Amino acid sequence: METASPAPRRSGPSGLALLLPFFIFFVLFWLIPLLGSLKMSVYADTLVSAPEFVGLAHYRQILNDPRFGKAFFNTARYTVAILLIILPLALVLAQAVRMSHRRFRPALTFALLLPGLAPPAVLALLFLLVFHGEQGLLNQLLIMPFGGEPINWLKDPHYILPALVLQAVWRWTGFITFFFLAGMENIPRSLYEAAHLETNHRWQVWRTITVPHLRPVLVFAAVYLMVDAFAQFSGAYVLLGGSGGTGDAGLLLISYGYQNAFTYGKFGTAAAMSALIAPWLMGIFWLCMMRTRRATA
Amino acid sequence: MHARLPKKTARYRPPSDRTSPGMTIFLSLLCLIFAYPFAWMLVSAFKTNSEIFHPLKFWPASLNATGFKMLFSEQWFPFTRVFFNSIFIAAAQAVGAVGLSLLAGYVFARHQGRRVRIFFVLALSVIVMPPPTFAVPLFSWLHQLHLLDRSAGVILPGLVSGLGVLYFTQVFRQVPDELIDSARMEGASEFQVVRLLFPLLSSAVISFGVIHFVLAWHQHLIPLLVLNSRDQQTLPVALAALYGSSLRFPYAVLMAGSVMSILPVALFFGLAYRRFKSALADVLV
Repeated sequence: METASPAPRRSGPSGLALLLPFFIFFVLFWLIPLLGSLKMSVYADTLVSAPEFVGLAHYRQILNDPRFGKAFFNTARYTVAILLIILPLALVLAQAVRMSHRRFRPALTFALLLPGLAPPAVLALLFLLVFHGEQGLLNQLLIMPFGGEPINWLKDPHYILPALVLQAVWRWTGFITFFFLAGMENIPRSLYEAAHLETNHRWQVWRTITVPHLRPVLVFAAVYLMVDAFAQFSGAYVLLGGSGGTGDAGLLLISYGYQNAFTYGKFGTAAAMSALIAPWLMGIFWLCMMRTRRATA
Repeated sequence: MHARLPKKTARYRPPSDRTSPGMTIFLSLLCLIFAYPFAWMLVSAFKTNSEIFHPLKFWPASLNATGFKMLFSEQWFPFTRVFFNSIFIAAAQAVGAVGLSLLAGYVFARHQGRRVRIFFVLALSVIVMPPPTFAVPLFSWLHQLHLLDRSAGVILPGLVSGLGVLYFTQVFRQVPDELIDSARMEGASEFQVVRLLFPLLSSAVISFGVIHFVLAWHQHLIPLLVLNSRDQQTLPVALAALYGSSLRFPYAVLMAGSVMSILPVALFFGLAYRRFKSALADVLV
């Protein structure tokens, strides 16, 4: 038995054994299907048995497919919009919650969190009714009374992507606010006291203490939102019924993948699409992780 | 949580004590906007179709609970069974994912070496490639394993949580070294050390359990593909199918079903709220 040392222990057989349960499932239910996806991507699309090996044909085809380009572009815009709206908004809201009367805080937080707790399918259903062309709540309550033309959110190609973005904002803002709140409460009071000795300016204190301390949370939130933007299926699915909406305005990468796989039966193509997207996600993820490491080291 | 400063030095009031009524009102309005559709949804469970499509009328003509009655009468889909499926599948995933991630997180936090780091990177890769991104090969693989149309087909893939590994690695990093070292000195195996530490981690375990429960509750693509029989489905899938089913069905049923789909998670979340907040704070910062 080693003598006690403050440093973490070198891995021995007992330690690695604890990794076994996780990695058994990892291999069985993640690695194997993932490799299966790669394999599928280099075989033909036929549903009949014994598909032929086609090499990189699917990949070439995808890169020349204008709809794929549209889906990629839509997803990129969608992701950026979500990040740019939710992160600052949640930061502001977290601060607002901290500045609200204590007794109201649980109720306010709950109201903000509610959209995040509802299944996205239900949110989308609500959305369908709220954002309905003429009889929808939004049009009836906020637009028509002011003399505006009712916006056909789900059919007008200009408004489909904004509708998807709004849906995501509605869903996640509360959650991210909650993360920021939790992070803010962990900032030691002594730091604020020290800052108070130098300046009375709230804004400066905010800028030099609160925000830097929230960096790990910010990075975590950004990664979380990005992964959700790429992989979230049911929002767009329920809203647009598995299609991309008018003129593919709402076509996201995951919807296009689903279409290829299940509407057109082109499994190889769908698999190739996943393989194309994965490196980007991984790259962004590791970039964020590296930056957090350096910042907190 | 923090002790109040004695009055004579308390010229300084920390940010969270400087409450402002203006902020409270502003926030309340915003929260009203966020939550209003849900209030409307709840009330709409009591309405007729024409009332639902005239959303300016908030209250129904009569508080006849037809929406809920029709839902529980199961004429549209086997509600009780479906509801139970969702609960069982989400709970099983929560418990299992916590267990697997807990053990893995301990190793990653408390062991060094290149091999450990490689495994850590592998585990985290799961975050960026969640199951919906390889749904088709997963489907055919589950088919080969005879797991289609069974709850296990959704539960087992859902036990692999990269987020969980990340979470528990952070949690174990914050456990004081002395506790672990003294346990190891007394000859405890690594597994026994984890068992020893478990009571300390109750908040973290509950918090991640709730997070994973909610994420599992929300799953759509995998249950949609894997669970085909009507009595194997999960609630969100069944509700979405209901919407597309026929032209003249009472939307009140959909509203009632949606209320029921939020109730359990809201309940769990509400019960675990305080623990959740403190555990999250410890892990994230």
